[in-house]
Amino acid sequence: MNKVIVSDSPHIRGVRTTKGIMLDVCIALLPACIMGCVYFGWKALLVLALSCISCVASEMVYQLCLKKKFKTILAEFDFTSLVTGMLLGMCLHSNVPWYVPIIAGVFAIVVVKMLFGGTGKNIVNPAITGRVFAFISFQAVMISGWAMPTIKAIKPLAGNITSGATPLTQMLGNGVENIGISNLDLFLGTGVMGCIGETCKLALLAGGIYLVVRKVIDWKWPVIYILTTGVMTVLINSIAIKSFAINTFLPSILSGGLFLGAIFMATDYVTSPYTNKGRYVYYPILGVVTALLRHFTKIEVVSFAILLMNLFVPLINTYIRPRIFGEPTLSEKIKAKRQAKQAAKAAKVEGGEAK
Amino acid sequence: MTGKKFKNISMDGLFRNNPTLRLVLGTCPTLALTTSAMNGIGMGLAVTFILLCSNTLISLLRKVIPNEVRIPSFVLIIATFVTIVRMVMEKFIPDLYSALGVYLPLIVVNCIILGRAESFASKNPVLDSSLDGIFTGLGFTWALTMIGAIREILGSGSIFGLELWSFKIEFFTSAAGAFFTYGVVIALFNGLFASIENRKRRKEFKLLYPSYEVDLPNKDKSENKIAKEAK
Repeated sequence: MNKVIVSDSPHIRGVRTTKGIMLDVCIALLPACIMGCVYFGWKALLVLALSCISCVASEMVYQLCLKKKFKTILAEFDFTSLVTGMLLGMCLHSNVPWYVPIIAGVFAIVVVKMLFGGTGKNIVNPAITGRVFAFISFQAVMISGWAMPTIKAIKPLAGNITSGATPLTQMLGNGVENIGISNLDLFLGTGVMGCIGETCKLALLAGGIYLVVRKVIDWKWPVIYILTTGVMTVLINSIAIKSFAINTFLPSILSGGLFLGAIFMATDYVTSPYTNKGRYVYYPILGVVTALLRHFTKIEVVSFAILLMNLFVPLINTYIRPRIFGEPTLSEKIKAKRQAKQAAKAAKVEGGEAK
Repeated sequence: MTGKKFKNISMDGLFRNNPTLRLVLGTCPTLALTTSAMNGIGMGLAVTFILLCSNTLISLLRKVIPNEVRIPSFVLIIATFVTIVRMVMEKFIPDLYSALGVYLPLIVVNCIILGRAESFASKNPVLDSSLDGIFTGLGFTWALTMIGAIREILGSGSIFGLELWSFKIEFFTSAAGAFFTYGVVIALFNGLFASIENRKRRKEFKLLYPSYEVDLPNKDKSENKIAKEAK
């Protein structure tokens, strides 16, 4: 058979598809979802289900409005909207009214993702923007009304946990001594008030390790983000109380949505820099911004920090680019410049002698 | 003044050259004042009145004003009327006056008014100019009222101050919501406008070349039938 096929340059393609990667992320999110449902009961399950349904349904309705056939929509369905829905549900607390996850889901998918062109075209993370939208729109219900988990703390420290504030807000407001809960409890999420998916750090870590093993994300980036936030918090508190405040390190990284944000949201392919060099710039700045904003606003700001830094990603991509094949390296460029200068000087000297 | 010219000027002001939605002029009051429909109407009518007066006066004086100092003269005329409107509003409708705040004196540098003075009133006769002032102002008013109504319904759960329900999405009363609503309204209006223009153009094309079957996307079945019958 003499058949010549002419095609464009990527001739060898990987077997990984968007669908497969997103399915991996869904699986990685499951332990945290399950732990959230265990801690906060059927209400948490309802919030998660509503946000997932709202995200997936609004994506399908949008595509139907674009006159796509339902069969092709089903065939093209990658799990990105489901991931968005799960993440969005996980960063709401379980006592929110039913309309909050629905409206936030519609906003996240229709405005943030589909209007910019669908999967892979969004400029900011849809789930985070959905949460920020909900936070701005329904401040009264988003800030108060945190649910108490059904499982009590293993070893609560002295001092009572007042209802209506998460450990993080207590720490930010009153200092680390008044957090009222041990680091182990913060890690396991037992007796910790918070959003559905962010209290059990162990489950999130398990999901993260699964993603690293499946090579969906690189372990470096969440670690860099989390460590920078912790170090920065220690530094800020040390300056504030004028002594070394190492005891703020663990509570600051174990409370709030830092693990959820670092493992699942900040590592989003679409909204993080393309190159490794760019990422070495992006994640430390993200950590610094998170710690600074946390210190000055006294609220949980991981979502705001990631949203803010997402907007700087195009800038980082523009200025920190990989070297094009054949392009001289930086040192070579400097060398060439110096040589050109010397040559120009020599020419000048020769010209002077000639005169 | 013929009917066609009247129609042209009115359609230009209200839709085709709508200052907020097509020319994107005067965005500062549009974004800042559209938290409620009432504010939108108040601002729009104030601008309409000033636009009418300034356009008329500038058109009357268009042969007197030397070309070199026309902008200062326009600003002087506009500022006079803005001052009058401010005084009247402060005396008779103090609530709206305080709601509009700093944006009322800022009408002096509003680019819609300066733009109409420069591009229309300084070149056209008095009647045309005053009509243009009225219709451009009304175009501004309806756009502001619509954006204000959308933001008020979604953000405060009320319309013209009447409470509809207690459900509120506070995002729409914030500055981010203003930009968002404005952008979406511009997109929808321009999409609608483009589709109407397209349809009109296709009709004209068919009148000119009845035997030519138009091969455009979204063609109607009825249009196809007409084309076949013409063959």
